[in-house]
Amino acid sequence: MFFHIRLERNLQLHPRFFGPQLRDKLVEKLIHDVEGTCSGRHGFVVAVTGVDTIGKGLIRDGTGYVTFPIHYQCVVFRPFKGEILEGVVTLVNKMGFFAEAGPVQIFVSNHLIPDDMSFQSGDVPCYETSDSSVRIQKDSEVRLKIVGTRVDATEIFCIGTIKDDFLGLIGDPTAGA
Amino acid sequence: LQEVGAIARRLVLNSSLLARLVRLVARAFYDDEIPHKGANPGKSGKSDNKGISVVVLDALTRRQWVKEEELAKRLKLHPKQLRRTLRVLEDEMLVIREDHKETTKNAKVYNAAVAVADGEQQGGPANEKTKALLHSYCCLDYAQICDVVRYRIHRAKKMIKDELEDKNTVQEYVCPDSGCGRRYSALDASRLISPVDMNFHCERCDAELVANNDKLAPKDLGEGNNEENARRRQREKLKEMLERMEVQLKPLTDQLAKLKDLTPPDYGSFSQWQERTLAQARGDGDGDHKTANGERPSVPMPFLGETKARVEVAFAGSDTKEAVKEDPGKSMKVLPPWMIRQGMSLTAQQRGEVKTEEGASSDTKPTVAPTMDEKPMSAERQLQEEYVKAYYAALMLQQQQQQQQQPPGDALDEVKKEEPDQENGFAAIAGDRVVGVKSKRDDAEDDVEWEEEAPSTGLRSPISFASIAKLC
Repeated sequence: MFFHIRLERNLQLHPRFFGPQLRDKLVEKLIHDVEGTCSGRHGFVVAVTGVDTIGKGLIRDGTGYVTFPIHYQCVVFRPFKGEILEGVVTLVNKMGFFAEAGPVQIFVSNHLIPDDMSFQSGDVPCYETSDSSVRIQKDSEVRLKIVGTRVDATEIFCIGTIKDDFLGLIGDPTAGA
Repeated sequence: LQEVGAIARRLVLNSSLLARLVRLVARAFYDDEIPHKGANPGKSGKSDNKGISVVVLDALTRRQWVKEEELAKRLKLHPKQLRRTLRVLEDEMLVIREDHKETTKNAKVYNAAVAVADGEQQGGPANEKTKALLHSYCCLDYAQICDVVRYRIHRAKKMIKDELEDKNTVQEYVCPDSGCGRRYSALDASRLISPVDMNFHCERCDAELVANNDKLAPKDLGEGNNEENARRRQREKLKEMLERMEVQLKPLTDQLAKLKDLTPPDYGSFSQWQERTLAQARGDGDGDHKTANGERPSVPMPFLGETKARVEVAFAGSDTKEAVKEDPGKSMKVLPPWMIRQGMSLTAQQRGEVKTEEGASSDTKPTVAPTMDEKPMSAERQLQEEYVKAYYAALMLQQQQQQQQQPPGDALDEVKKEEPDQENGFAAIAGDRVVGVKSKRDDAEDDVEWEEEAPSTGLRSPISFASIAKLC
């Protein structure tokens, strides 16, 4: 799920940037450092929306670098157990398939795929019902439910299921633009 | 007294319910052989120890704290075998074990305690030969047994139910390589994927991983139409298993339900139990214990030999000051007043305030010295309080009768002489305390003592105090 939160970070700036564009440089550095990263606690930082305050810089001993504490606001994405997401299938395997919902990767094992769908290997591996009415292959869109998350310091990985009602394939890769 | 009887009955009922539970559990789950640990797996058919735990657990329901060697002797088992069994049972959380380094004397104390608990008589110092060895004691832990059994049954049922409802979500993967055998969870899936063939590979040996289906998961019996049938069959098998389990466990679950509200008896740690039973022994006035004077390590001033506690009793005048029964086997000696100093932490027993059991009340547990720390469960305390009340009532009655017989303010001698005779039957010693100078002095001391201790022990007959005061 997406959240809009306020975070803090200490940025180190090289003296060559000390000039009239100091603040802009700081913001640029912040965006460069933070966007796209993931912390276990907050989730993936999607975008920085604004900078609240930039504190007074502290010169580090020995080097000329200066440390600025920055408070900023950003949009983060963090998946939770029990959440329902749509994702795109990236890899199909006889053990299950991998899907991506934005920055987070979700694995659906074959144990959590409905019993009537079975793995078909071949040049295009996929999961298919016996009458081929539903086929899940690479680049299909699926709706899945998250049943477990593994949160490291800098990474989040999820396990999902499509075995419940209203889950499963929602978009064919062939149809639509 | 009726209430006391009711409580006593409830206690007994309690233990019989619990004993039954333990026996049921033993026969239900521990019927098979004890697994051999370590070097020699399976003693080449020399001895088949199938069902040994049943025997051991049954024996333990009849005893409280037991020395392992003694248990082995009684059960005619090899002590090593018994020890192994007890170790397994301890791991299963059914039994508590404690180890004590003991000297000969303490062993005798232990024997006394056991004898009391068993209601037997020990003729003479039985096991003199016990040296300063490490003795192991074991006891059934009823409170834990109830909880543990209930929890395990719940878990077993949950496992089957979850599988039926498909709650097993996180898959496990095992490396089939015999040397490796590493297990992975589905949560690790992202780093197990191999770029080459799009399958999961072990991190160490790079063998292809296999999904770990435990027996409850639906088996992969091939693809196509068979699978649906297979899964349905699997579900039915699980349901049937669940039903069968419930039916077979029914007597056990019933027993557990009965016990749910009752608190199980807590024998405390071994040393507490020892203290308690010995106090009981003393209180019972059971003079049959011939075990030698055990030194009580916890007592600050061990008192060897028989005490002249009778002296104290006689002076204080009659039975409000409870007579201390002279037990050759008791370990808590009554300290006469000239030994009592300020600030000595003595139990009420040592101050000579223990009540003895008279012929009248025939109930089980007398009061244990109130300064002892861990009290057994509340029912026991209740029992004791009831007993105390009953005892006091009986005493009061008796005293009043006595007062009617002799006019108050009579020579204290007669009272002195009579009381000990009545209570203790040690006429000889009491008779020697004729009125003399010395006795009077002691008397005075005693009075001071008594008055101090009066408030602590509750009921006191005002009449006898008056008579004492007169003499001063």
